Amino acid sequence: MKKVFATVLSVCMAAALFAGCGASTSSSTAASSAASGSAVAEGELDPNIKATLTFATWDNEAIDFYEELDLEGRFQELYPNVDLEIEEFKDDVEYFNQMKIRASANELPDLMYLQTRYFSVYGDYMLDLSDTQAAANNVLAADCEYNGKVIGIPEKISSDYVYYWSDLFEEAGVEVPQTWDEFVTVCETLQNYYGADDPSFMAIGMGAKDSWPMYPLMEYSPASFSGNGTYWDYMATVDEPFAEGEPIREAYTKVYELLSKGVLGSDPLGLGYDQTLSLFLNKQAGMMIDNSMGLAKIKASGVDLTDLKSFYVPYTGEDGTINHIAQGDFFMGVTTNSENPELAKAFLEFYFNDFYPDYVQKLSSDSTMTTAEKAKDPYMAYADEAQTNVNIVAYMGGADDYTAIVNECKFDYNKVGTEMLTEGFDLEAAFDKLNADWSAAREKLGME
Amino acid sequence: MKSIRKSRNRFIVLSLAIPVILLLMFVVYPSVDLVAMSFTSWDGISPHRDFVGVGNYVDMFTKSPDLWLSLRNNFIYLAVHMVMIPIELSIAVMLNTKFKGTGLVKTIAFLPFIINGVGMSYAFSYFFSPVNGAFNDILTSLGLSSWIQSWLSDPKVVNFVLASVSAWRFSGYHIVLFSTGLTSIPTEVMEAARIDGANAWQQLWRIQLPSIWLVFSFVMFDCIRGTLQCFDIPFIMTNGGPGYASSTFTLYTIDTAFKYNSFGMAATMAVAIMVIVILVYLFQNVVLKKVFRQ
Repeated sequence: MKKVFATVLSVCMAAALFAGCGASTSSSTAASSAASGSAVAEGELDPNIKATLTFATWDNEAIDFYEELDLEGRFQELYPNVDLEIEEFKDDVEYFNQMKIRASANELPDLMYLQTRYFSVYGDYMLDLSDTQAAANNVLAADCEYNGKVIGIPEKISSDYVYYWSDLFEEAGVEVPQTWDEFVTVCETLQNYYGADDPSFMAIGMGAKDSWPMYPLMEYSPASFSGNGTYWDYMATVDEPFAEGEPIREAYTKVYELLSKGVLGSDPLGLGYDQTLSLFLNKQAGMMIDNSMGLAKIKASGVDLTDLKSFYVPYTGEDGTINHIAQGDFFMGVTTNSENPELAKAFLEFYFNDFYPDYVQKLSSDSTMTTAEKAKDPYMAYADEAQTNVNIVAYMGGADDYTAIVNECKFDYNKVGTEMLTEGFDLEAAFDKLNADWSAAREKLGME
Repeated sequence: MKSIRKSRNRFIVLSLAIPVILLLMFVVYPSVDLVAMSFTSWDGISPHRDFVGVGNYVDMFTKSPDLWLSLRNNFIYLAVHMVMIPIELSIAVMLNTKFKGTGLVKTIAFLPFIINGVGMSYAFSYFFSPVNGAFNDILTSLGLSSWIQSWLSDPKVVNFVLASVSAWRFSGYHIVLFSTGLTSIPTEVMEAARIDGANAWQQLWRIQLPSIWLVFSFVMFDCIRGTLQCFDIPFIMTNGGPGYASSTFTLYTIDTAFKYNSFGMAATMAVAIMVIVILVYLFQNVVLKKVFRQ
């Protein structure tokens, strides 16, 4: 007890000392760091430690905010001789490809971001953060453990909304849908109304040429319709998940029925995400399904957003409730390859306890920290006004077994989605093939 | 005398040592490692590489239909490039005659090759876009709107579009190579042929082509290697889609390694494409030698 008290005291003194060297505003920063409970990690560190912390991200939006809020400078008020090297990647695909190569060479950065679907891949390379104050104050961290360890602290809540132009809805005489069937009708009505004059009009702008933008329909629909956030883990236990009566079969059948009505425009596979976003901003698409990063791009576009509103994708369950997927995103973790793991942990504590309250105000995402309150983004808040019967489903990417099967049989839900848009696509044949591949993979992996 | 020989030998050994060491480090070792990896089920991350014998090779032939579909797409690229070679050669022959603006034409033809491949692929994505795409606008303005297709999304069309973009990019390079080869033919030989009454076709077939046989062989090899390992154009323009309709062997291999964490299987595929390139090259060499000997 004496030792803990002494440690806390010494960190408070160190913080006060550094605060004296900095501007008046920074004193509260340093002091709050010590007060917020990161004393143990920091107490073991020499504040004059000389090091460079490497930190990799694909969040291009965040880089600007780091500069604006002076992330490095504020951390240097605590550790003046520590440099922060932020490695930026174009997108998550490139990011995780690079991380994979670097993991095999034991060259991972000190801190890196994860998504739940990559927990099983990188889990062994991440330090346990269970004892950090950041984990204790995070609303999602404890629910997203991997093998009993907190391997990352989520800084965003990823939720996909349907962003739409209310003036287009009004002119076409449609209202926000409350059920999946109504959603299909709304899409059809919009497509017929505007598509008659403009053949390139899209009721839903998807950007399916890039394949990944299909995820709100192809990745989330099974979990949403069934209301089971860990659907992929259930699927890993089934030999023929695409058989009659299985949730994914029902979900994909509904999605296929929607897509086959031509609501993605005349050539949905000919346009990528960026092109589609431009068309949406130009009101050549009525709706786009996107997350907070997409909303940030919409906001940054500079177009008039007076008519922009949102609603939840109406994945209605059996009781008529809309099941809305929400998951932690951008899980910041400390890698086992870090040469300064304690310093990296100290940075993580600083990041979530001191920096995050300011930073999260800049993001479109909701806050994940109990210590950082934030009002919901006004464009997302429209959804709560339009639809009230909403059930939040906490979503997790599949665990080890699911990942192993997917790797073995090369199941790619987004590719299945793009294939649904090709001429002559046979849904029944696709289900049969997926079932055969899935059960063969399970057999090979000894999961029968 | 002895010391001169010693010095010479030392110089030779030292001169060779560095390239040999570099070759061993950056070519031989990675190649051996690649072959060794192809017999494992390594996931790209795990410190252990489990030996699976020829399992990957068996699976590649028996359980990877999309891989062979991707290879078929590569051969579409190869076919388009092969069709372009006589055209490129004809242009090079024309450029070899004396007319004003040869240099300008060569520069313009060479430009696509020096443009960044990624940027060029993005540009063509927009060029063939179904909405506001320049190509469709051109067709419409020419009164050919009935020719408009889903250029990047119709599985029957997409590979030919991508192969055409690839041909557009590399044709200028080949033209310059052919042209350089033709320039190196002594003018006396060509003049003598003309005095002897050889027509243009005979000059091409009997003198020019045999004289640039090495250039021709290199261009052929470049086409084979390039088209069978094609990656950037389909990756950026279609991402291999829809489904695997415009995927290529390399694109599929990279997906196997990074998306599905099967580095062992991806290494097997890399070895396979290496062998295929060598086999096609050997076949092409045998055919070319026979043709030129005749």
